[in-house]
Amino acid sequence: MAIITKSYEPTFWDKLYFPALFKGLMVTLRYFFKRKVTIQYPEEKYIPPDGYRGLHRLNKYSDGRIRCVACEMCSAACPVDCIHIIPGPSPWDEGKERYPVRFDIDLLRCIFCGFCEMACPEEAIELTEIYDFSDLTRENLLIDRDGLLEVYELTKNKNYYSQTKKSEKSET
Amino acid sequence: MDLLGFIIILVKVLVVFAATMLTVLVMIYLERRVSAFMQGRLGPNRVGPQGLLQPIADGIKFMMKEDIVPAGADKPIFILAPAILLIPALMTFAVIPFGSDITLFGRQIPLQVADVNVGILYVLALTSIGVYGIVLAGWSSNSKYSLLGGLRSSAQLISYELAMGLAVVSIILLSGSLKLNDIVADQQGYLFSWNVFKQPLAFIIFLVAVYAETNRLPFDLSEAEQELVGGYHTEYSSIKFAMFFMAEYANMITAAALTVTLFFGGWDFPLVDESSLGILGTVLSVCSFILKMGFFLFLFIWVRWTFPRFRYDQLMKLGWKVMLPLALFNIFITAGYLTVRALV
Amino acid sequence: MGVVHGQEMVLNIGPQHPSTHGVLRLQVKTDGEIISEIKPFIGYLHRCFEKHCENVTYEQVIPFTDRCDYLASMANNFGYVVAMEELMEIKVPERVEYIRVIMAELQRIASHLLALGTFGLDVGAFTPFLYMFRDRERILDMFEMTCGARLLYNYMWVGGLSHDLPIGFVESAFRFLDYFEPKIEEYNNILTYNKIFIERTADVGVMPADVAISYGVSGPNLRGSGVKWDIRKDEPYSIYDRFDFDVPVGIGEKGNLGDCWDRFNVRLTEMGESIKILRQALTQIPKNGDVHQTIPKKIRPPKGSIYKRTETPRGDLGFYIISDGSPIPNRLKMRSPAFTALSVLDEIGRGWMLSDVIAILGSLDIVLGEIDR
Repeated sequence: MAIITKSYEPTFWDKLYFPALFKGLMVTLRYFFKRKVTIQYPEEKYIPPDGYRGLHRLNKYSDGRIRCVACEMCSAACPVDCIHIIPGPSPWDEGKERYPVRFDIDLLRCIFCGFCEMACPEEAIELTEIYDFSDLTRENLLIDRDGLLEVYELTKNKNYYSQTKKSEKSET
Repeated sequence: MDLLGFIIILVKVLVVFAATMLTVLVMIYLERRVSAFMQGRLGPNRVGPQGLLQPIADGIKFMMKEDIVPAGADKPIFILAPAILLIPALMTFAVIPFGSDITLFGRQIPLQVADVNVGILYVLALTSIGVYGIVLAGWSSNSKYSLLGGLRSSAQLISYELAMGLAVVSIILLSGSLKLNDIVADQQGYLFSWNVFKQPLAFIIFLVAVYAETNRLPFDLSEAEQELVGGYHTEYSSIKFAMFFMAEYANMITAAALTVTLFFGGWDFPLVDESSLGILGTVLSVCSFILKMGFFLFLFIWVRWTFPRFRYDQLMKLGWKVMLPLALFNIFITAGYLTVRALV
Repeated sequence: MGVVHGQEMVLNIGPQHPSTHGVLRLQVKTDGEIISEIKPFIGYLHRCFEKHCENVTYEQVIPFTDRCDYLASMANNFGYVVAMEELMEIKVPERVEYIRVIMAELQRIASHLLALGTFGLDVGAFTPFLYMFRDRERILDMFEMTCGARLLYNYMWVGGLSHDLPIGFVESAFRFLDYFEPKIEEYNNILTYNKIFIERTADVGVMPADVAISYGVSGPNLRGSGVKWDIRKDEPYSIYDRFDFDVPVGIGEKGNLGDCWDRFNVRLTEMGESIKILRQALTQIPKNGDVHQTIPKKIRPPKGSIYKRTETPRGDLGFYIISDGSPIPNRLKMRSPAFTALSVLDEIGRGWMLSDVIAILGSLDIVLGEIDR
């Protein structure tokens, strides 16, 4: 079945080289004057759309109680076992009686698949729009309960990036 | 030679050297900026206004880097190779006239460091020496990728020098002199006296050969990042790498200046007699030279960021089977024309 | 006159090399520049995908399929869920089918853009690469809008989708298609019909059809050799039988049939066909429908096994799943198209020059994540 056929013989026009090359040169020259697509990152932040799967947070009720009831549905749903929860009796009188004493997420293991937020019956764990949380040490990338609650404080108004952008502008 | 003459020459050497180095810096900046613009990006814009100090930051970075000599490298040659490449690249500019004569302190000063009467031969000789730097760097690194880069470079040299030399021969036939000054003087006057209009074929051959000579895309086979990692400079680091880098740009500048001199009337500004305008004419001629050179430097960048790379046997095929016969044909035509003209 | 034998040199290309598309190592025997043997060494990106799948539930496999062919995650999701749905006999709603096809075809364009761009990069053209990345970015933006991730989507679930389309998706998809269609012409100008590019790729790395078939090469690489084989057409899955599109094949336009240029051009033409499918799907898509409707509460397929293949941007992606009735797969085998494409490299790359081998490797469009799994 080996069909090796030579069906192409370059015409004289092709052999001239330059016409085809000139077309390419025109493309690049046109782009020279066009608008650029770069986002000037640290000053100008990309604002992800709703539902972006970034850094996790633990949601709170308006009176400050943690929504999480330590049911461990999220850690069961997690394909990489990066969520570790130690449940304990809740310190608040009203509401559910369990709450997480410890709630650790290993961000280095996490694959940001979003299964935890789908699995959560209380809408307690959620992925936020924060994407730039890289760090220099492994220890800093183990986030605990208080860290997750802090992320909630940062992102509860859904304007993490637009907000920081504004404050930076006022500084300069 | 009297003292004043000596000082004048010294000043000219310094000015040309400084100008070349400055242009190298500007070119490093422009290469990144222009390429970025062509690709819809912004390019370096952080260091200094519009990123203008970027080449200086690069330079500092290169100097701070650790200078690595690989084990098993031929140390003296390894260290010498970048210098062999860089020094001829900087020296070539010496014979290129970059403006009309200027009268200062009661004497006429040609704007040219050295008016060598075999100027073209000098240029061709020096550019060939530069290639030895690449070959030696590739060989002495004791790395397979570098060796392949060096080999490709030598193959490239023999296939292109010839066509380039023959393209120049037709210019020499026209002007009847090897002196670059004479060649420029020959193209004075109206616009169509430029050699590019008299010798379009020679110009195309020369231009293509010059791209091969300066190791720029589409002929940058000896460094071919995607194939040979970095080719001849794979193993180089720190200031030695920077020297290769500078040599590449210095070569480009020389090549652009040479193209302008040979084919675009040098410093000639069409339809203007510079010598009759005094100092103004000189300024005009220098500006015209810089503008023309700038266009060719832009063309270098433009071409680099548009085309893919040739394979090395294709390059040799192009050199031997296309350009060499064409150049010979061109010489034949030119010589025939000149003979007929002399007879009539 | 005797034949001059040069000394053979063994050259290691990779695992850290600018154009090995990841962490591939090629050990090549060269005589000067001529390559006499290519030995690919794989496994630098091995993540035990198949073994891992035997330890997680069926739904938890999906994020791992993302990571196999990380340039075409949607297509991998698609292949897995189609196999699972056939095993469990689930019929998903119309809207879900349409959204899946839209996503898979957008992904095909994105993946081909990357393949063509890096191929251009391999032969030394840097700028087209960035143009293609720029356009790919717009597709990723749409994916991000839909499921919240740019590369590893975890979007298609067994029996449905993780999210419905966001408001305004169809419009933005049409806007993208209008923007993208003229760009193909631009790629042609800057790369495809560039004389230097043709010189570098035409007649290089010719893969005759019989060689391609005997090595099990599939997808655009096979079609580049002139074999009209596309699972979307020949073994239609999902709702591909409803759309009108062609299967572009190589015709040896610039050289021998099955050369690098043909493979390149097949991918480029396929993007046009994907646009056709997308336009049809985006107009026909039902307005309403619950994408979560048929997602089973607990995935417990009946005892048995299934082999199902789908057409990813790289070729036939097969999933062989053995179920023992528990919520965890008993065995999961993935047949990856890039693996077979890499295996043919030695056959078609022998005797060419070093630069050509890089070009051939680029034209095969391998993804190491899928080869090593």
